[in-house]
Amino acid sequence: MLSLTPRIDPTIQSLLDDHDYLGELLDALGSPLAVVLPQRLQKNVTAFRETFRRHHLSGRLYYAHKANRSSALLRELAAGDIGVDVASLGELQHALGAGFTPDRIVATGPKSREFLWLAARAGVTVSADSYDELAELAGIVAGHRLPRVPVTLRLSGFASAGVRVLTRRSRFGSPVGELADLLDLLEKRADHLELTGVAYHLDTIGLPEKAVALESCLAALDECRARGLRPRSLDIGGGFGVNYLAEGAEWDRWTSELGQAVLGRRAPMTWENHGYGLRAENGTLRGSLAVYPAYRPVAGAAYLDRLLGTPAPERGRPLGELLLDHMYDLDVEPGRALLDQCGLVLARVTSVAGDRVGLDLNARDVSLEEHGVLMDPVVVPRGGDRRAGPAGVYLFGNLCLESDLITRRKVHLPVVPRPGDLLAFVNTAGYFMDFSATHALHQPIARKVAVYRSGGKRRWCLDEQYWPVHTRQEVP
Amino acid sequence: MRHDDITEAIGNTPLVRIDPAVHGLANIDLYAKLELLNPFGSVKDRAAWHMARPLLAGAKPGDTVVELSSGNTAKALALLAGMHGLPFTSVTNRMKVPEIKELLLLLGAQIDELPGRSECLDPTDTDDPLARMHRQLASSGSGYLHTDQYFNERNVDAHVHGTGPEIVKDLDGRAPDWFVACVGTAGSSTGVARVLRQHNPDVEVVGLVAEKGDFIPGIRTIDEVHEVGLFDPDVYDTMAAVTADDAIDGLLTLSRRCGILTGPTGGAAFVGAVRRLRAVDATLTSRKSCVFIVCDRIESYLSYVRDRRPELFGRPPRRNSTGTLTDAELHAAPAIGVEAAQRWLGETDALVVDLRNPYAYQALHIAGSINLVDEVFADLLHAGLPFSRRRPVLMVCPVGEKSARYAALLRRMGHPDVHSLAGGIIAWRDAGAELVRD
Ligand SMILES: Cc1ncc(COP(=O)(O)O)c(C=O)c1O
Ligand SMILES: Cc1ncc(COP(=O)(O)O)c(C=O)c1O
Repeated sequence: MLSLTPRIDPTIQSLLDDHDYLGELLDALGSPLAVVLPQRLQKNVTAFRETFRRHHLSGRLYYAHKANRSSALLRELAAGDIGVDVASLGELQHALGAGFTPDRIVATGPKSREFLWLAARAGVTVSADSYDELAELAGIVAGHRLPRVPVTLRLSGFASAGVRVLTRRSRFGSPVGELADLLDLLEKRADHLELTGVAYHLDTIGLPEKAVALESCLAALDECRARGLRPRSLDIGGGFGVNYLAEGAEWDRWTSELGQAVLGRRAPMTWENHGYGLRAENGTLRGSLAVYPAYRPVAGAAYLDRLLGTPAPERGRPLGELLLDHMYDLDVEPGRALLDQCGLVLARVTSVAGDRVGLDLNARDVSLEEHGVLMDPVVVPRGGDRRAGPAGVYLFGNLCLESDLITRRKVHLPVVPRPGDLLAFVNTAGYFMDFSATHALHQPIARKVAVYRSGGKRRWCLDEQYWPVHTRQEVP
Repeated sequence: MRHDDITEAIGNTPLVRIDPAVHGLANIDLYAKLELLNPFGSVKDRAAWHMARPLLAGAKPGDTVVELSSGNTAKALALLAGMHGLPFTSVTNRMKVPEIKELLLLLGAQIDELPGRSECLDPTDTDDPLARMHRQLASSGSGYLHTDQYFNERNVDAHVHGTGPEIVKDLDGRAPDWFVACVGTAGSSTGVARVLRQHNPDVEVVGLVAEKGDFIPGIRTIDEVHEVGLFDPDVYDTMAAVTADDAIDGLLTLSRRCGILTGPTGGAAFVGAVRRLRAVDATLTSRKSCVFIVCDRIESYLSYVRDRRPELFGRPPRRNSTGTLTDAELHAAPAIGVEAAQRWLGETDALVVDLRNPYAYQALHIAGSINLVDEVFADLLHAGLPFSRRRPVLMVCPVGEKSARYAALLRRMGHPDVHSLAGGIIAWRDAGAELVRD
């Protein structure tokens, strides 16, 4: 068996066990349907806080909003004490509307003039990506007579000594070599800009690259201090990862066998023997497996813990201790990791023929494939018995395109589904729910509902109707 | 033996019989081919020299020798390039063996570590860093001399002309019945197997790879081996997996009992050989022989072994270490709040010891304090008190945790007037107390 069984925690499991509940939701709201679980966020927040505590670090957790458009998730977090990282004008409006006060918001990513103005007007922290952006912001503050805006400098292009640690080029952030120019500008515009820290975000799972970046940013912070500025924090961005699979052995077996399939030494396990980046050349595997490492024993808060325990490449002390020694706060911007186990996407099975299962959703509604995350969906049967599996099937979507496979991987289901059954794509709240959804071919975009507990009962509402004011919390 | 240059000392390594009392096989003579005695220290000296020789002969000044290697090939190439006045760059996924990394840096090599996988993956981007690098190396006039060990036939050739014939010669013109080797680039096992089969088509060739998810420096895992251009499954009668534990067990046996200072893959080959042979030994009616390869030396792998078997390096616990403090001692550690500490410092000539790293200390510290990084301080304490008992002491760390431990320890060591700054220097800063840089 080449299953890739998803990791499912009790909240999602109890929902999956309630076949009628999910069936009725889908009947009422249509397929596909996205479900978010706002109350499950707290557990992930707590895990990050716990890591902070273990390293004696203070600092702020910012939820990277880009990972999900949901209002319910955002409002639930606004009700707590963490912050939010917004990457567009729309996200900033959304965050302000959800109840985040400006001191809990950091603006990142590409910034339009309007985005900069609203950020400055509201007084949120702006993570500046370049000299020009910083200058533009100062101009807006001066021109509109706004109060001083807190800014952090996002840096990039870190160099390591000794071993050269290569990193993908990023189009964000100012090269560390230009720090002095940035600080000159900050000094000149001291009436308009107030430095609160420096930041990086690297799109990599590699700890060594992040260790180099973190240590370089510490040096940059010290340079800021030496210039008489008073930076408070180091923001290390997101990218803590999620462990999607229940068992490492399944992942090992599947990836081994994929290589064999690509070499033609076993039956294909993917549509048209797609190699996910691997290819055969003269009997040798070339290329590299371009998928997310779906089994990650160290992910989320544990990954942060590992990073903080990693010795700084130059100074040798663990990075967490260095932060403490230098008295800087640590800020983080997890997106994917904060949404671990916080949602799922449901779809109705429309046809079953041989090893092909047709679904009333398309690959954009649950963009697992686009993000390279491979895991099996869960069958939610509706009434009657199902033929026992395991069933290895290909999943087809509702677009009349040849390529509308939900995933090119043959998935494995424990029972053979029937038309009318549901498939649940679990743990898809982070990036796979609405990141890519479109109205192509007039197919509906999935409605989104929040499922939550209140007064000892499971309840649901449309995502935009959810506010974290459940009666039980109100003390008369 | 007199040589004009060190490359002439490559090859002609001894074949040494392993004492039957060690391997316990009744009917099989087990021989180790001691590749660790090559001048740069490993089996890869042969391949590196054979691959690099033609490239170096045609090199232009300023050319750079490049190889994907994090170990012995890199070491040999760095030395060979250096002899020709050329720089060497090693490209690697991860330098996992610190001793080899340090050695390469010492030899003047540049090490480029490839980036990790993207967290926010775009699977349509098949242009992985490795593919990009290959394209760059392949473009002509790039100034790179790429030995390409995973695909270069000369890697196999080196053993067809050297290692293989040497084994046959030392066995009086016969090939052994078994040949066991670990597979990295597959160069040595493929080349030797080819020669042995010419002499004895029935020789059984055993290729050893690491268990998936395990790490044995120098060889590939079961999956990775399929990415090796020189790897041809038909070369091997059997492929078997060995673990890091096997490798260390074998390393210990060969070095402690046979005087062979092998690295982990030689140990793995020994264990893999004995495991394979034990199954057949009892059924044999005539004398047979087996050869395995000892690829390199033990010295580079001390931290590799230490990480996995710390007990092998066990030393008695050191005197005066914070690790030996009891909960009661920790609880009794005298702590003092920021305000009280300021007053106390004003009234006494207390010594303020800041345990943070020197850069942090230099950036900001309590006026008049001295900086003794905790690791250094811990070392000093093993020998005894580094200051007078008559001088009051205030221990300072970031949050007051480490300093409490040292205060407790100093107290146990007989210091009568030591305090830990409660909440550490962060509390000091947060209370608005003065911090300076000199
Ligand atoms: C600046 C920044 N912060 C945070 C994140 C969130 O990353 P993740 O969801 O991997 O934690 C991103 C993702 O692209 C980002 O660009
Ligand atoms: C320590 C060690 N053992 C074994 C090998 C395997 O040799 P080959 O590359 O010829 O397969 C290597 C090769 O890199 C090595 O460094």
